[in-house]
Amino acid sequence: MPNTRDQKIQAEAKRLLQDGVVDVVIGFQKGTLPYKMQPCFISRADEVAKLTLNGLCSNNLAVYLNHWPKGEKTAIIVRGCESRAIQTLVLENRHARENLYLIGVPCIGILDLQKIGQQELQPVLAVQEEGDQVRVTFGNGEKLFKRNEALHDACLHCNHPQPLNADVVIDEAGLFEDGSFDKSYLHAFRNLSAKKRNEVFRAEAERCIRCYACREACPMCYCEECFVNHSRPQWIDSTIAPSGQQGWHIIRAFHQTGRCVSCGACERACPMNIKMTYLTDLLNQDMAAEYGFEAGLDAAAAPPFLTLGEDKGKFTGEQEEDHAN
Amino acid sequence: MTQKKPLIVLFQCQYCLASSLDQYWVEQELPENVKRVKVPCSGRIDPLYILNAIQGGADGIMVCGCMPEKCHYKEGNLHARRTLNEFRNFLNTLGYPQERFVFHWMNIDERGVIQPLLASFEERLKRSKDRPRLANRMLNQENG
Repeated sequence: MPNTRDQKIQAEAKRLLQDGVVDVVIGFQKGTLPYKMQPCFISRADEVAKLTLNGLCSNNLAVYLNHWPKGEKTAIIVRGCESRAIQTLVLENRHARENLYLIGVPCIGILDLQKIGQQELQPVLAVQEEGDQVRVTFGNGEKLFKRNEALHDACLHCNHPQPLNADVVIDEAGLFEDGSFDKSYLHAFRNLSAKKRNEVFRAEAERCIRCYACREACPMCYCEECFVNHSRPQWIDSTIAPSGQQGWHIIRAFHQTGRCVSCGACERACPMNIKMTYLTDLLNQDMAAEYGFEAGLDAAAAPPFLTLGEDKGKFTGEQEEDHAN
Repeated sequence: MTQKKPLIVLFQCQYCLASSLDQYWVEQELPENVKRVKVPCSGRIDPLYILNAIQGGADGIMVCGCMPEKCHYKEGNLHARRTLNEFRNFLNTLGYPQERFVFHWMNIDERGVIQPLLASFEERLKRSKDRPRLANRMLNQENG
């Protein structure tokens, strides 16, 4: 049943394709599973009726721009995180902004299937969003969830749900206001003892099966050859040995420092439900504290690791004072 | 009971410790528990190398690089300072204590500082040997 948000998106996509403004529109369509929408690529105006956007669209669409021909005129339906990811990718020369047409949609949040689906050991037959509530039909009956409680953690911690720098913004109210980010979970993690923090990290990392779904879902992971795929020298154990699991999570997160837009696509892609946005959020918090930088907000500011500075007086630890003069 | 000396990996920028005495010392007389990795510039040190050393069984990591404005390649060390410092913070947040991973940004004309630095680092490592660690490649091999 199409709602007005879908109709507005479809009308905009139809206009763009008919007028020849773009060659293709990237968006979401109904998938084969009732609780998952799948990304789709619409290139004909008569196909736009497929387009939809709801809380079940869990991918970050910016990931498709990485291996997309730079010259192709592309429209893409963006929420807050996707628009910030695209801004970062454009900054890193992965795509030309003039060839992109961003259809902004104020974010309505993404539902976490684990929160609504896994409490029941029953197949999910349908998910229906009704205002503040989510009606989930299981094999043995229906259940109502509060929408705010069923949202993904990354969406609950989101600071910028409004699309940035979009060419057109669909006129529908989003779910959140900007700046509602709740950082308390990071503070709670930092306040644990070193041993406890290590235990949390170990417990999360040891479930990893090294499928690299997090890498594939991430718009910022676009290296032609990932460091885990090197075989000579092999930097990281490629098996599910603890050293390899921990190494993968540490370096994967570290490569996102100041680049991660906290969309949480990695976590939603993970088949083992490993929490990993806390790693990149910790790093991003450091970047914000030390360099005042937040990924994707400013179209001209490069991440701190791509810029150089003498950082006078910043790193004067005890080791530096040990032998001063 | 004899105590095993902590294994230290020393990443050395080739323009540090440039005086002939220091260079002779690190090349010929380095203690057995110190492994030296000589790199063209501290900017060449990827966090991956550090992690590889830690997982390879190192108890402590020491990075020697040049002072900010003294880099032979002009800005390699500026990059190293930002990334490695954040990497150290990050490992510390994950429970790998930051006293196991130290930097020494030094001037080219400094000489005779590396020996006392290594000695004091070794002492500190002995004191912190019970702190949490990351998983180790060698342990994997022992446990099958």
